[in-house]
Amino acid sequence: MDIVVCVKHVPDTTEAEIAIRDDERGIEKRGLVFDINEADNYAVEEALLLKERFGGSITVLTVGPPEADETLRMCLAKGVDKAVRLTDGRFEGSDSYATARILAEAIRELGRRPSPIGYDLVLTGIQADDDGCGQVGVTLAEMLGIPHAALVISTETEDGKMKVHRELEGGLHEVLEIELPALLTIQTGINEPRYASIFGIRQAMKKQIEALDLGALGLAEEAVGEAGSKTSLVRLFIPEVTAQATILQGSPEEVSSELLTIFKNEGVI
Amino acid sequence: MGEIFVLAEHRQGVLRDVTFEMLGKGQELAAAMGAPLTAMLLGHNVEGFATELAKHANQVLVVEDERLEHFNSESYQQVLAHLIAEHKPGLVLIGHSAYGMDLAPSLATQLDLPLVTDCVGLELEGGQPFAVREMYGGKVSARVAFRQADTYVATVRQAAFPVEEGAPLGGEVVAVDSPLTEEITYRKFLEYVEAAVGEVDITQADVVVAVGRGIKEADNLALVEKLAKALGGVLAGSRPVVDAGWLPPERQVGQSGKTVKPKLYLAVGISGASQHVAGMKASSTIVAINKDPDAPIFKVAHYGIVDDLFKVVPALTAQLGG
Amino acid sequence: MRSPLNVRRIIYEALVRDQLDVNQRPEIWDCTTCTTCTLRCPKGLDPALMLIGLRRVLTEGGRIKPTVRDALESTFKFGNPWGRGKAKRSDWAQGLNVKNLAEGAEAEMLYFVCCTPAYDDRVQAVARAMVKVFQKAEVDFGILGNEEMCCGSEMRRLGEEGLFEFLVEENLALFQQHGIKRMVTTSPHCYNSFRNEYEGRGFEVQHYTQFLADLIELGKLTFSKEVNRVVTYHDPCFLGKQNQVYDEPRAILQRIPGLQFVEFDRSRERSLCCEGGGGRMWVEASSARERLAEVRVKDALALGAEVIATACPFCLLTLEDAVKTTGAEGAVEVLDIVELVAQAI
Repeated sequence: MDIVVCVKHVPDTTEAEIAIRDDERGIEKRGLVFDINEADNYAVEEALLLKERFGGSITVLTVGPPEADETLRMCLAKGVDKAVRLTDGRFEGSDSYATARILAEAIRELGRRPSPIGYDLVLTGIQADDDGCGQVGVTLAEMLGIPHAALVISTETEDGKMKVHRELEGGLHEVLEIELPALLTIQTGINEPRYASIFGIRQAMKKQIEALDLGALGLAEEAVGEAGSKTSLVRLFIPEVTAQATILQGSPEEVSSELLTIFKNEGVI
Repeated sequence: MGEIFVLAEHRQGVLRDVTFEMLGKGQELAAAMGAPLTAMLLGHNVEGFATELAKHANQVLVVEDERLEHFNSESYQQVLAHLIAEHKPGLVLIGHSAYGMDLAPSLATQLDLPLVTDCVGLELEGGQPFAVREMYGGKVSARVAFRQADTYVATVRQAAFPVEEGAPLGGEVVAVDSPLTEEITYRKFLEYVEAAVGEVDITQADVVVAVGRGIKEADNLALVEKLAKALGGVLAGSRPVVDAGWLPPERQVGQSGKTVKPKLYLAVGISGASQHVAGMKASSTIVAINKDPDAPIFKVAHYGIVDDLFKVVPALTAQLGG
Repeated sequence: MRSPLNVRRIIYEALVRDQLDVNQRPEIWDCTTCTTCTLRCPKGLDPALMLIGLRRVLTEGGRIKPTVRDALESTFKFGNPWGRGKAKRSDWAQGLNVKNLAEGAEAEMLYFVCCTPAYDDRVQAVARAMVKVFQKAEVDFGILGNEEMCCGSEMRRLGEEGLFEFLVEENLALFQQHGIKRMVTTSPHCYNSFRNEYEGRGFEVQHYTQFLADLIELGKLTFSKEVNRVVTYHDPCFLGKQNQVYDEPRAILQRIPGLQFVEFDRSRERSLCCEGGGGRMWVEASSARERLAEVRVKDALALGAEVIATACPFCLLTLEDAVKTTGAEGAVEVLDIVELVAQAI
């Protein structure tokens, strides 16, 4: 089974102080630690598990700057066969739609080569930890003209068809059957991602990462970046705190005592 | 701008809350635009819903088709594409739900329309729509503009807008012939599988004590479980805790877990990401214990303690006699 | 004596049959790398090294438990295995007026705090006690603040040699950049790694018990209060049996006024490992057999000790857990030596 996985190199904002840039169009990236987007990590693991069962090859794509190679190398270290980075200054300012456009064109370009890279399955994470749009995957499916299912929490494959569970609200699962080739957006918790050791990543340095730019994809400049986007960021801001908790002060014993009073008043105890 | 379309969302015989949240917002926008508000209802044997929706919209377009009995993004997309082409609405609102996330991006792409997802704010300025959405785990907000188009599409975060209880609009119910032609074979709905109930149904408890990543490891659950017992409540958890296998899925509170509305919700070491908050916002009293004064949970909680849970939890348990 | 940890069998499975799986042989992860086996081997063999080699096979192949994976990934990303942000590493020192070399301050000695005292709520008290003692003795010291990163000791012992090498490179460059010539560590694990495993280091390193013992000897650190407790001392494996630092911790305790020192039977090179090292902070024991830390607590109670003193953050946490699990809370307390010193100055 040949699989294409689209991943994103994103900042880890756990316990990090986020500062908005002066131009209000982005955040200060200095001092932030970058890593593979959490849901994409699960998607890569899912691809690796499918490859272990059915054979085939895995190609990982990302739209990002050269630093994104860190994430690509980690994927290669885990057993992905090929990594492609889509980098071009003109991709800056691309929204989810334009990003999907770039990915779609890259996938088509890989399929046009003398030794074509085809796919039975395209995987992405359900959403990115930075923008949280959850849009690229399903948009990409439509652009490629293949069926899709979002929020996939489990997969079973048989005879060119996949039975997938989509995770709905309340823990309910929607079970559906989808024909390949198809695109799935993968939900966290679907599997347990393996570890890529530093040694493994070093070994993976031997594998080449292919970088493609606008020209290599045969896309017009107007199709990408801000020009190719269907939405635009006006400004970023720190959200106003509308409702705020009454903060109880004092030692653990003092606040506990206060809480007990609150619980009694609210009829909880 | 043309009319405002709201996609009614329903499942297993129930109209989901996000439908009314969108209709409430839709009414506000429709009034500002001087445009009608239309609900779109797709399904099989859903007349009852139509009557209910008619109270909240100027018009309800009902597409009745056996093939629409269960949600399938492919069939829904075909029907909606048809309705949008026919009516040319100015704005289409879809819930940012498991259905909406599966449907809106492909629908918008097929029709070449701009889409902004997971909106927590929507307004018109100079006749143009602007959305507000969250980024970086809710720490930053973004004001987003749509590229000029005849129709704009937005998915709306669940529980972000209140359910409007305005005067009934008394809308007209209009049956629309299903545009579906061939059977869609490449994606077939098979069944729903209920989440395992397990021994405890956290949705029935009066007191829920939920733990998040802040407890650091499974061994520390015992500490919080003692508190839950002392309060006569149940132990629950946020998604990361369940993903890590420390608690079973039936104890997960959040968008993809259970929604709880207990008398007391005690959030221990939970940051308060929106997907979690969606599952407990309606609790009568929310108390949060978190070391991080900037944790988003404090925006939702009624009472907050900015301190180390490993100190506060035992102190509270001791005072409860647990 | 039969043990599930049959190293020869495991090696056979790994090298000859290539069948080693982390789930099939959980006992590989039980080892604490106390190296008692290596130290006692009459043939001079190194079973501990072989075991770490086995772990390398598994870790480098990515076949490790999620908790170990998370600790390793965290160390690479954030410079500590606890999943905490770099920006919070020196929060423990707020308000203490400590010189921060990362902010351009200079000092004669670097106090290398260690990830656990930096981030763990209980062990932060040890770092704060250390600062109090150093300041009382007018020691010219500084910390690396948020630039400090993990020494890599546990990562090497978990089989992530590549990550260890990376940390050595980064740390040596960092120490060089700040012109570090003398270092004192909280943890014996950091001490052991810097002293014995960081090749080409251009600085002297001591464990804090050696440094404090010297200060007391030189009259630079004096005691003015009494600590009237019956105290025993648990020799940390990485300080005692691995580096022969036995006397200095005892010298400090015995100089504290009012302190009544009692010795464990299994002390010094025979000290009973608490099971905190070798990556065990991130790995559950594979069997339900009695924890050695619990045996240690019972030993202490039998001895009539009110306090188990130690000089290692892992021993501290592991023994404290054992005090709770054996129901001995209130009967015996676990304290780091520097905490007792801080009480007496």
